[in-house]
Amino acid sequence: MLESDVSYEVTEKILDDLKNVLVGKKVQRSEDLEKLVINSLKKSIEEILTKNQRIDIIEEIRRKNKKPYVIVFFGVNGVGKTTTIAKVAYMLKKNKLSCIISASDTFRAAAQEQLSYHASKLEIPLVKGKYGGDPAAVAFDAINSAKSRNIDVVLIDTAGRMHIDQDLVAELKRIVKIAKPDLRILVLDSLAGNDALEQAKYFEENVGYDAVILTKVDADAKGGIILSLAYELNKPVAYLGIGQDYDSLIPFDAEWFIKRLFSS
Amino acid sequence: MLDNLKDAVRKFLGSSSYDKAVNDFIKELQISLIKSDVNVKLVSNLTQKIKERLEKEKPPTAIERREWFISIVYDELSKLFGGDVNPDVMPKKIPYVIMLVGVQGSGKTTTAGKLAYFYKKKGYKVGLVAADVYRPAAYDQLVQIGEQIKVPVYGEPGNIDAVGIAKRGVEKFLNEKTDIIIVDTAGRHGYGEEAKLLEEMKNMYDEIKPDEVMLVIDASIGQKAYDLAYRFHQASPIGSIIITKMDGTAKGGGALSAVAATGAIIKFIGTGEKIDELEVFNPKRFVSRILGMGDIESIVEKI
Ligand SMILES: Nc1nc2c(ncn2[C@@H]2O[C@H](COP(=O)(O)OP(=O)(O)OP(=O)(O)O)[C@@H](O)[C@H]2O)c(=O)[nH]1
Ligand SMILES: Nc1nc2c(ncn2[C@@H]2O[C@H](COP(=O)(O)OP(=O)(O)OP(=O)(O)O)[C@@H](O)[C@H]2O)c(=O)[nH]1
Ligand SMILES: [Mg+2]
Ligand SMILES: [Mg+2]
Repeated sequence: MLESDVSYEVTEKILDDLKNVLVGKKVQRSEDLEKLVINSLKKSIEEILTKNQRIDIIEEIRRKNKKPYVIVFFGVNGVGKTTTIAKVAYMLKKNKLSCIISASDTFRAAAQEQLSYHASKLEIPLVKGKYGGDPAAVAFDAINSAKSRNIDVVLIDTAGRMHIDQDLVAELKRIVKIAKPDLRILVLDSLAGNDALEQAKYFEENVGYDAVILTKVDADAKGGIILSLAYELNKPVAYLGIGQDYDSLIPFDAEWFIKRLFSS
Repeated sequence: MLDNLKDAVRKFLGSSSYDKAVNDFIKELQISLIKSDVNVKLVSNLTQKIKERLEKEKPPTAIERREWFISIVYDELSKLFGGDVNPDVMPKKIPYVIMLVGVQGSGKTTTAGKLAYFYKKKGYKVGLVAADVYRPAAYDQLVQIGEQIKVPVYGEPGNIDAVGIAKRGVEKFLNEKTDIIIVDTAGRHGYGEEAKLLEEMKNMYDEIKPDEVMLVIDASIGQKAYDLAYRFHQASPIGSIIITKMDGTAKGGGALSAVAATGAIIKFIGTGEKIDELEVFNPKRFVSRILGMGDIESIVEKI
């Protein structure tokens, strides 16, 4: 489990469960023992995972029935926020929901051009910002534009920022305060190890978030962070990014995850 | 983690049974390393060696025990990355071609700019080649960085022949008597459908024959670091490693795995998004961070 980036604490918890199951049991054959162990492990993991329900963005949007429905995406540098937004936009489009993107990363070189490319490829409107400009103002404009054009959903891209960078976290808070998002998505990189949990904790404490999208799962990452997130923060993983194409965003499925964890 | 390790040292000093103390310490050390994302197998190899030394070699005097103890840990860790020396980052010859490789989003393009700026300030004539044909606006990104630091950028926006672009870019800069040529490449991991991207990287390597391939690795990378670095190394031999995003909370243990997988040395660390936030790698500071202890530098200096 440690080799799958499951955190030390969670691994210990699961092993404790296992000990409780095994202690005092008489097992006749080694196959029985193996079964017992695997079943106990699966049960602990399932328990951890089902504590928090899943989130389906499309359902959420339809259920809330508010126009526009605003989603903000944030996370540390390079995890895949911008690409994920393009994938979500594609998913919305497929579900006949109109959307507009707010290019609120006004800092990183070519952040604007990167989103312009996606927006024109997906034929989705984009509100751009000026480099060095106020990211919250861009979000504000995008929301107003959605209102006047009767657009269903606003997707706000933000610049990558370290969770311990006080100035940038304060900036993010301001964006959230002004945009009043209906959903706050933390984007995490499945290749990250123990630090992913650290990122999640800081963002939860200082900004707050509703669900996680875990990217780059196609890089053969086991996604052990999913367990740590559920166990320590009680937060669901909504979707997984499994490639760089628009259609490589899949809903998270607990069974799939358990299978993957036990296939070595 | 720091507290755990301190506790372990205290137990080690106060304990009556030397063997038990060693075992306790090793256990805590293993936990620290795993929490810092050092590869699990590597942790087990490393701590085995450390344990053997602790059992064989006798501590000098009781007072110096703690220092002695940590210096052995440091010693074994630093053996991993080629010993206790700051790396030589100056080019061995002129012209010098550097190719940057790494996983998606690890920081290659930003680091290409940082390196260009670093060498330009040292007086070298530098050129940048934009050989990422996949990521939207990868070319614009490098061009904007190049403008900022006044370093020329070669690219062929619209063309999808990454190897050809790299080749022509290097040629052009060689003709212009450029001292250091830095080639930025697309992010890749090489698993599954991406196998062809590793193939592309290998072809690029064969075509431009860089003097040095630098692996750009994110400080937060977890257990996958070893395998990833190993695959990269197979496709194009890694000469050095740059750890980015050290300004976060990640310990950077994954980079140690990459060192073990490639035999390459760590040359630089990235400590922020800005162009001047690049530092030459310092082994002592790095080990202090991995172990979660602040005072290794002074301890190791003393012994
Ligand atoms: N293989 C793979 N690559 C991905 C995935 N998601 C994103 N990427 C790649 O990761 C790199 C970084 O993605 P971006 O979307 O620019 O990341 P970001 O978080 O917006 O980055 P910053 O804005 O610079 O902080 C790009 O090369 C993407 O193509 C994924 O699920 N799988
Ligand atoms: N905080 C911090 N951010 C960094 C550092 N180095 C790079 N970044 C950021 O990480 C993100 C990704 O950097 P890029 O240079 O685009 O990464 P890349 O490897 O070229 O990405 P792809 O080309 O998509 O594979 C950007 O937001 C950079 O600003 C660093 O040392 N510290
Ligand atoms: Mg982005
Ligand atoms: Mg790049």
